[in-house]
Amino acid sequence: MKQNSMLAMILAGGRGSRLKDLTNKVAKPAVSFGGKYRIIDFPLSNCANSGIDVVGVLTQYESVQLNSYAAAGRNWGLDSRDSGTFILPPREKADEGLKEYRGTADAISENIDFIDNYDPEYILILSGDHIYKMNYSKMLAFHKEHKADATIAVIGVPKKEASRFGIMNTAEDGRIIEFQEKPKQPKSNLASMGIYIFNWKLMRRMLLADMKNENSHHDFGKDFIPTMLKDGKSLYAYKFKGYWKDVGTIDSLWEANMDLLEGGNELDLADPSWRIYTEDAPELPQYIGPEAEVGSAYVTQGCRIEGKVDRCVLFTGTSVGKGAKVTDTVLMPDACVEDGAKVTRALVANGVKIGKGAVVGNAKSEEILLVAEDVPAKE
Amino acid sequence: MARAYGIVAPSGGHMKVEGMDEFRPISAFSFLGRYRIIDFPVSSMSNSGIERIQVYVSQNPRSLAEHLGSGRTYNINSKRGKLQLLFNQDSRVNDVYNTDIKAYADNMDVIERMHQPYVIISPGHMIFTQNYGKLLDEHLQSGADVTIMYHKVNDADVAYRNCSVVNLNRQKGVKSIERNTGTVAERNIFMDTYVMSNELFMKLIHKAREISSVYRLVDIINAQNEALDIRGVQHKGYFAAVTDFKSYFDINMGLLDWNMAQELFRDEWPIYTQTTDSCPARYTPDSSVKNSMVANGCIIEGKVENSILGRGVSIRKGAIVRNCIIMGHAIIDEGVHVENQVVDKWGRVTNIKELVTTPDKPGYVRRNDIL
Repeated sequence: MKQNSMLAMILAGGRGSRLKDLTNKVAKPAVSFGGKYRIIDFPLSNCANSGIDVVGVLTQYESVQLNSYAAAGRNWGLDSRDSGTFILPPREKADEGLKEYRGTADAISENIDFIDNYDPEYILILSGDHIYKMNYSKMLAFHKEHKADATIAVIGVPKKEASRFGIMNTAEDGRIIEFQEKPKQPKSNLASMGIYIFNWKLMRRMLLADMKNENSHHDFGKDFIPTMLKDGKSLYAYKFKGYWKDVGTIDSLWEANMDLLEGGNELDLADPSWRIYTEDAPELPQYIGPEAEVGSAYVTQGCRIEGKVDRCVLFTGTSVGKGAKVTDTVLMPDACVEDGAKVTRALVANGVKIGKGAVVGNAKSEEILLVAEDVPAKE
Repeated sequence: MARAYGIVAPSGGHMKVEGMDEFRPISAFSFLGRYRIIDFPVSSMSNSGIERIQVYVSQNPRSLAEHLGSGRTYNINSKRGKLQLLFNQDSRVNDVYNTDIKAYADNMDVIERMHQPYVIISPGHMIFTQNYGKLLDEHLQSGADVTIMYHKVNDADVAYRNCSVVNLNRQKGVKSIERNTGTVAERNIFMDTYVMSNELFMKLIHKAREISSVYRLVDIINAQNEALDIRGVQHKGYFAAVTDFKSYFDINMGLLDWNMAQELFRDEWPIYTQTTDSCPARYTPDSSVKNSMVANGCIIEGKVENSILGRGVSIRKGAIVRNCIIMGHAIIDEGVHVENQVVDKWGRVTNIKELVTTPDKPGYVRRNDIL
């Protein structure tokens, strides 16, 4: 067996309730993004591209779709003899029955036996909620170089937004001096990306202690990291530069999709050296009809455009009928805009049908309209 | 379907597509932007529940071997099933001795070891879908020794060059299979598709080798017409045969008609192919695209009409692409006008600003060429 020096655990149990109806039946990591992807494809592909072989996926909220999706490790090339994706929902245990994960750290604590199977030196903790491309092996090299007990990936955010994040105050060499969770008066603009590398031996010991601590929320940001700092452990901030988005709201999800219309966008999904992998759909190439007018658009296979489309992202299996006009809009998988309908500044949820001649959305509205239910035809 | 195994036959030596098969066999030709022609027989076999599939390759195997891989893409069970590539022992191109029978005889040990009692043979250069389970049922019900498939056409005088035609009696018994002479419009085109028992198949291979070294399977079937009960089954639905460069071009173009494409690509009968994990295609505000099929990974900044773009194709600003098949990763540079062309993979049209011919004589830009 190949040496698995670092094992990855993806926290994918959250609902993402600010995504409203989009996450009624699926957890946020399973939400579609960028025409053909799901959000969790990003951390999974990053793991595969960084040479990580074993990835545990911790699921809890509405996990049926997510579990079956993430279990197909072959989609990310994680299916060789010594590699794989492993779905870890809460389970019933002999002495304590079935209990849900109480927090992010608890989800790891409850799966210490899984991790012990692989006897790793390092653990990489990831969130299943973010859109970014990152080489985790570089972060591990940084972690080793600084002989750190833990390394936290951080990104510079605008000062005025810093109070929405966990903020790291660091010394010149990157050592973390102070951690403030959503501070009113942030002392720096380095926000935690929710990406951590820990030394497994130390982490294991600390998790066992945290499990027993009745005052703990069993959360990395609220409890685990502050405890490490208090105990005088050496924690380092690893600065990441590049595209990183937490697509937590309908507006930010729409916006992140729209970013893809720009050729020079930082995410650059076309880069052949760092591909994002996903499930392959057995669909025809996209079909652009004889009367279609396609302006700026990001379109994937299995789409059919017969009407007018401008500044749109079209996901797998979507269709735009004759005479229909779709502008500034994201059509999620299998959404259908029938003949003559007009859709403006909207995000149309999976499988939703906009009936013939219907009009939805408003070019002047500040917020993006989420269309989560079929819209009847209008004669 | 444990009752039958499948064979994708080597395309006969008489089938030659000018320019293109220097690089790969017809079955490996890219098709409609993201497919290869071989995807059609293999997907149909897989969808029919056939678990063991043999693909015979007589020349230039690189492209097919790479594309088919382990067969997992085609939904073949990786333990119970197998997709096997089989080669001729010597594979001189365009040799009259290089027949399908020769390929089977060279691999007789594999054919003998198949434990499925029936074999279904389909060609690698024809495009259609077929439920082979149903075909086998018809074969068994009729009690025939061999069942073959044909497709009724009314343009055999102008198309289907190099195909065979089937003459039937009223009971759908096959009277003869002969070359399409192109003199009659209404014909039953032979689909090079057979069902028979593996036992009979092996007998026919031996017999063919005894009679003549240049015998093909169709020749021995024809010669055995008196001794065997051979029946024809009519195929319904989309059917096309790639017999030359022009037919390859026309068949691709014909599928730009959405209704026709719907006949071939049905939700309940998926056509599988290898994924390359390309990102979606990007259309810039300057682009204009009409009546076209576009594969993922394309970047379109120019004008595209009645065309098929393979994966990762770039159409730069001010370029005009009309009635073209642009294969994977090719580039049509700024201001270039191409019309009625097939641009093979990784080709690049940049210095020649006009590459225009008429639709009856489409042009061809070779793989990796820079113009």
